[in-house]
Amino acid sequence: MVGWSGRRKFFTILFFTFPTLLGILIFSVYPITVNTYISFTNRNKSHPNPDCEAGLNNIMVPTCWPMFREKAPKGLGTPYGIIEPWYKNYADVMGTLFSPEAGLALLSLVVAIVPLALTNFVDQRLERQIPRPISSSLVWIVGILVVVVLGWLLQVPKAFSTLMETGDFLVVVLRTLIFVVLRVPFSFVMGLVLALILNSNYLKGRTFFRVALFVPWAASSMAILMALVWQFFFREQGTINAVLTVLGLPTKVWLNDPVSAFAAIVVTDVWFSYSFYMVVILGALQSVPAEVYEAAEMDGAGWWRQLISITLPLIRPAILPATVLTSITAFQMFGTAYAITGGGPGVVGKPGATEFVMVYAFKQIFQTQNYGRATAFAVIIFLMLFSATLFSNRYLRITKGAYE
Amino acid sequence: MNRKPSLAVQVFQYAILVVATIFALYPVWFVVLASGRGQRLFTLNVLGMFVPTEWSFENYRVMLFERPFLTWLKNSFFVAGFTTVFSLVVVTSAAFAISRFKFKGRGFLLLFMLALQTFPGVLSLGAVSLILAAIGLYGSHWGLIMAYTTGTLVFSTMNLKGYFDTIPIDLEEAAMIDGCGPIQSFLLVGLPLARPALAITALFAFLGAWGEFVFASVLVPAPDSMKMAVPAMYSLANSMSVPWGYFAAGFIIIIIPTIVVFLLSQRFLEAGLTLGGVKG
Repeated sequence: MVGWSGRRKFFTILFFTFPTLLGILIFSVYPITVNTYISFTNRNKSHPNPDCEAGLNNIMVPTCWPMFREKAPKGLGTPYGIIEPWYKNYADVMGTLFSPEAGLALLSLVVAIVPLALTNFVDQRLERQIPRPISSSLVWIVGILVVVVLGWLLQVPKAFSTLMETGDFLVVVLRTLIFVVLRVPFSFVMGLVLALILNSNYLKGRTFFRVALFVPWAASSMAILMALVWQFFFREQGTINAVLTVLGLPTKVWLNDPVSAFAAIVVTDVWFSYSFYMVVILGALQSVPAEVYEAAEMDGAGWWRQLISITLPLIRPAILPATVLTSITAFQMFGTAYAITGGGPGVVGKPGATEFVMVYAFKQIFQTQNYGRATAFAVIIFLMLFSATLFSNRYLRITKGAYE
Repeated sequence: MNRKPSLAVQVFQYAILVVATIFALYPVWFVVLASGRGQRLFTLNVLGMFVPTEWSFENYRVMLFERPFLTWLKNSFFVAGFTTVFSLVVVTSAAFAISRFKFKGRGFLLLFMLALQTFPGVLSLGAVSLILAAIGLYGSHWGLIMAYTTGTLVFSTMNLKGYFDTIPIDLEEAAMIDGCGPIQSFLLVGLPLARPALAITALFAFLGAWGEFVFASVLVPAPDSMKMAVPAMYSLANSMSVPWGYFAAGFIIIIIPTIVVFLLSQRFLEAGLTLGGVKG
């Protein structure tokens, strides 16, 4: 650029970025810091009366600062300070995850999984040899057989249930992961199929279908109210049961059964999220040149081959960042589950079948008034997601493709 | 792939589309039906769940004239509007700087912002309400506006930066040769070119604040005349004494403009979201 550098450049950049940086510092970095601090205290209300002498309260809590001191809430609950022992909240969240039995169970699970990774490695190795000595399916059959035998020998189901009984943390995170693993591919496949059909030039009524299929995304901006509507469909006298009665099929209280309640949440969330994928893929498909397909057809590639070898690789740069973003959003999904099941069904005192990460944290704060434990949980979740983001950026160059 | 498909394939495609369309539209259609029905919901027959068997505007009348519904709408509009304006002002300059100026720690800044975004929003609520209580904005709309504005920062900056990257830098350099400073060249050349991306960013900021639930219900808990539309409607739908038809009517009044705005900006959305991806 022309004629500007050094101090002037520095101040210009500062001038441009200062408001954003300040906002992020106050409303992102500070909350994270305070949460980390609170996770070591015995705070149990969301608006407690802070004891300004205890711990680091006089530094960390703004209402303890001299200029704001008179604004501090009064008479709301007991004052809080550092908990005894300092790691108690973390211990509560993790339960007995670090006990010898749990460690043994975890070890046996890992040992049982190792052959799968090994199989993949061997398969990749053999792929490079021409001609290939052993076929891929044979390698995988042997690998899976080994896993099954190992699983039986190491009593994997028993180890699994041992792990599940260690405490809330593993149960909640595992359920959330299952939710993500179900929801993201469902939305992706549905978005992909619809986008491929809509992309055809010979389709009549294309605009109508595009607009109609786009509506859920618009409705998802009021996700929590829309989820209340969905809840009605799954009720005892709801639409699904009414239709089943007319067809003469047995009805069911969908939200009282763990599995069907879980499925209800997945279906609803797919409704909210598939049109995002559809729009992203439609946009990406526009940029795939038609000549590539013509060339492929000359070479005799069928529809499936074209999809796998041309379409998907070419729209990959658009799909990958979208997938990472939706995975993170799905992991932090709150409104749908909260409005439909409220985290249940389940027994009191244990996380319910649809009590995903955010719902668990919300309930810990606002229903069981367990602020300290909720923040400890948040810190662990944040560390997990933080490293996942760094990892995906480092190895998949995902943010590079989308934002650079 | 753009060869005319055979008849069987076409029938199959339409079948998928029709099923998907029913799946997509039925929930909204159901609310429309419920809003025009009397107050009964649990004594529905199957037919009433799919076609309008009766219709009256009673629910709409009650919502509009006998409930503080319009006040809620006004509150939401106020908060979402100011959030949009503030967020655009703040974010545009930052996105421009990150896109245009090469400085130390730029990549790190981007990654840092992206990673911060992964902190569960519900859990920063406690700290945010502490700050707002300290500066005396707890329970006021301005506090909520501050929280929302900062909540949009990361996504909006990323989005706008991506768009600025696609505008050739030569234009601004030409302006600078003609005697503009960096700020002038930004305001006169860069900003007008980024209009579509600004529209998308504004839309997302507005809708984010418009439909948000947790912050709105915790940071502005009372009184009724201060509430935002979404938490107010949520408690309306969950209270046993209020007929569901009222909720449905209010929901339709809120959701129809939202859907229309979305549909009008559909072209923008496709362009805005795929930029920097394959089109690069």
